[in-house]
Amino acid sequence: MGIDLQLIPKVLDPLPGGKGLTNAVDYIVNWARSSSLWPLVYGTSCCAIEMMATGAARHDISRFGAEVFRASPRQADLIILAGTLTEKMSHHLKTLYEQMPEPKYVIAMGACTISGGPFYYDNYSVIKGADRIVPVDVFIPGCPPRPEALLHGILELQKLISGETIRQPRVPRPLNDDPMIDRHSADAAAWKEEDKKIQEELAGKREQWAAENPDFKAYKGERFKNVSGPKMGHTPVERSCTSVADICAAVHDKFPDIPLYNKAEITDEELAELSPQYIPDFVVGQEQYTAFISFLKNHADLNMDLLLQVTAVDWKDHFDVLVHLYSTTGKHKIFVRCSVDYSKENDTPEIDTISHLFSGANWHEREIFDLFGITFTNHPDMRRILLRDDFVGHPLRKDFEDSSRIVKRPY
Amino acid sequence: MDLVQTEIPEGFTRSAGGGHTEEYYLNMGPQHPSTHGVLRLMVRLDGETVKEIVPHIGYIHRSIEKMAESQSLIQNIHLTDRLDYLSCHMTNLGLCLAIEQGADVGVPERAEYIRIIVCELQRIQSHLLWWGCFAMDLGALTAFLYGFDEREKITDLFEELCGARLTMNYFRPGGCVSDLPNEFIPRILKICEHMKTTLDEYDNLVSKNMIIRERTQGVGILSKERALSHGCTGPVARASGINYDVRKDEPYGIYNRFDFDVPLGATGDCYDRYTVRIEEMRQSIRILEQACKDLPDGDFRSKEKPNYKIPKDEHSFSSVETARGNFSTYVVSDGGKTPYRIKYRSPNFSHIGAINDMASGYKLADLVTVLATLDPVIPDIDR
Ligand code: SF4
Repeated sequence: MGIDLQLIPKVLDPLPGGKGLTNAVDYIVNWARSSSLWPLVYGTSCCAIEMMATGAARHDISRFGAEVFRASPRQADLIILAGTLTEKMSHHLKTLYEQMPEPKYVIAMGACTISGGPFYYDNYSVIKGADRIVPVDVFIPGCPPRPEALLHGILELQKLISGETIRQPRVPRPLNDDPMIDRHSADAAAWKEEDKKIQEELAGKREQWAAENPDFKAYKGERFKNVSGPKMGHTPVERSCTSVADICAAVHDKFPDIPLYNKAEITDEELAELSPQYIPDFVVGQEQYTAFISFLKNHADLNMDLLLQVTAVDWKDHFDVLVHLYSTTGKHKIFVRCSVDYSKENDTPEIDTISHLFSGANWHEREIFDLFGITFTNHPDMRRILLRDDFVGHPLRKDFEDSSRIVKRPY
Repeated sequence: MDLVQTEIPEGFTRSAGGGHTEEYYLNMGPQHPSTHGVLRLMVRLDGETVKEIVPHIGYIHRSIEKMAESQSLIQNIHLTDRLDYLSCHMTNLGLCLAIEQGADVGVPERAEYIRIIVCELQRIQSHLLWWGCFAMDLGALTAFLYGFDEREKITDLFEELCGARLTMNYFRPGGCVSDLPNEFIPRILKICEHMKTTLDEYDNLVSKNMIIRERTQGVGILSKERALSHGCTGPVARASGINYDVRKDEPYGIYNRFDFDVPLGATGDCYDRYTVRIEEMRQSIRILEQACKDLPDGDFRSKEKPNYKIPKDEHSFSSVETARGNFSTYVVSDGGKTPYRIKYRSPNFSHIGAINDMASGYKLADLVTVLATLDPVIPDIDR
């Protein structure tokens, strides 16, 4: 505009009637600002869908002048924090916020950005409240908030903006830089103290009231009765696929000493009786692991061509690496399980990779490396995948503890 | 300033530079309007041609699998909502099926039908959102408004059903939380009837649009072998010609009673992925009509247990077909109240892993098209 807005009150206010003029300038500037908010296209998860719904035809955010969603933070003056904020993302959010020109506003949408919401307890990656990173103007509760709630939030923000004045220009608000401090414990202790005081104050009054009203009976709520149906057992759906007996026969032809998990002593008759719902789960040693998977993949009848997933389970003294395979031709599944030794002293469990057999295994193995700390030898690209490189520890291990991040569930 | 980057960024197979022209790296995301959330792609470019893509994920990793270990199985159902929030009825169902299998719980007939009706309705809803966003990513804003308009009608139904617009939390082991509201079935049939004409309208608006065709046909081809090797499922795999639909091949619930087709693509390009999804909506309408016709009276839930426990050292595994592919739930139990470990197999995880195969060799603008036809839900990838 070329005019320094801050000069206006300095020049106008001392003049007779000048205050009114400044107020008029305030009014116009605030009106313009508040009714043309340009939000940034920023959405991390579920709440973003409701934000999109707000922008779409039915709820039509443009009625309130905020429909110009900008893809670049340099053109936006409002950021709607739609969705959970994680530790890995928080650094990027900070950058985004810093790139926005002043004056800038922040709306925190949803329980996640208020306190972590459903992800408060036992969680090692979610920031428990977006205001631990950026200053927030309006919080909208809900999981997710309805589009109407978001509109209400925008109206509240407009009210906030219309209270601004150029006599006291906004100062850029500082970023918050301690995302992982434990605010909850101190607050909870303070609440407890407060509550105790109140109870003490009330105790006398209660006794007095009880003495005055001896016949009073407090209303006891009734338990909501569920309409419950008959008791019934699970009946699996019928399906046609290669039978378990056939699979075992094919496998034991080449690898005779590979047992089924939990069913090592099974007889042939019992095998034949297993329902197609049962998924054969083979236990292999580490020496045979890759050879066995490659056999399953290349066997003409078994033809396990689709890798569903590779995952692991921590049994405290060892890990089980599990490979779940499916055949698109035979329509059967096979699980393979391989135990990997692990102890406190030997903290680097290792197993061979199968990423040369299935490209999809590449990422699954990286995930296991990230969350369990099992290294896959000969893997082309062994890096963390979900967490930041500087994250300490492997969270899905049963002995993982990180009191700076995790708030334990109190019940 | 030295502009030539000598160090190879993480994940790339070779450095930029060499050859006739100078290659360079470009970063897309995690804040980017066309990555559908917080996905980050590093791209090696030669001019405008994409040479290699390295996706970085984890920006919305919410440690749902860790949280699962300290909550009972029932308490976990609401967390599955937050995985693939566009098909949350199906992800709910995945966990419920796993519990039913492990804890030996049966489902009454009516509940089975309700499940199918609700799931198919949600598949249409999810595909409508995808359709709108797909067109918007390609630059057509009108379609976005059309898609959301139809979607809101289904959202209204869901709100009436379970009180939520997005995070439903409706299924339970042994059935559903509540019965269908009054006048639910006629309204579904009305939507089905309406959707048929709408889908034709969509064909006129987008499918037959010359620009859309030019931008999608022959772009982002994923061969059958590569799709299998990456573990792609759902519409992405079917567009590449892999005949795998969990509903048909490993039927869960009562899907084996319905008559529907599995649309397949021939080439595996973006246009095939598009048409497969549009056709899937038509098939869902077919299923809906059959299910609404046959819906029996009776109970909507079998007898509740205070605690659903899976016996010690047992595991249970279930697969469902969400709007994006095979969503599997793997529950390991140590006999306690809480599961020992839960692993969710997310279809998007494999799809994003395959993006390098799909989009390299094409132009940078085609990468956006490819991403749009994958229909990724990022929190489902990161879990
Ligand atoms: S508040 Fe609820 S809906 Fe919103 S991002 Fe968090 S979990 Fe998702």
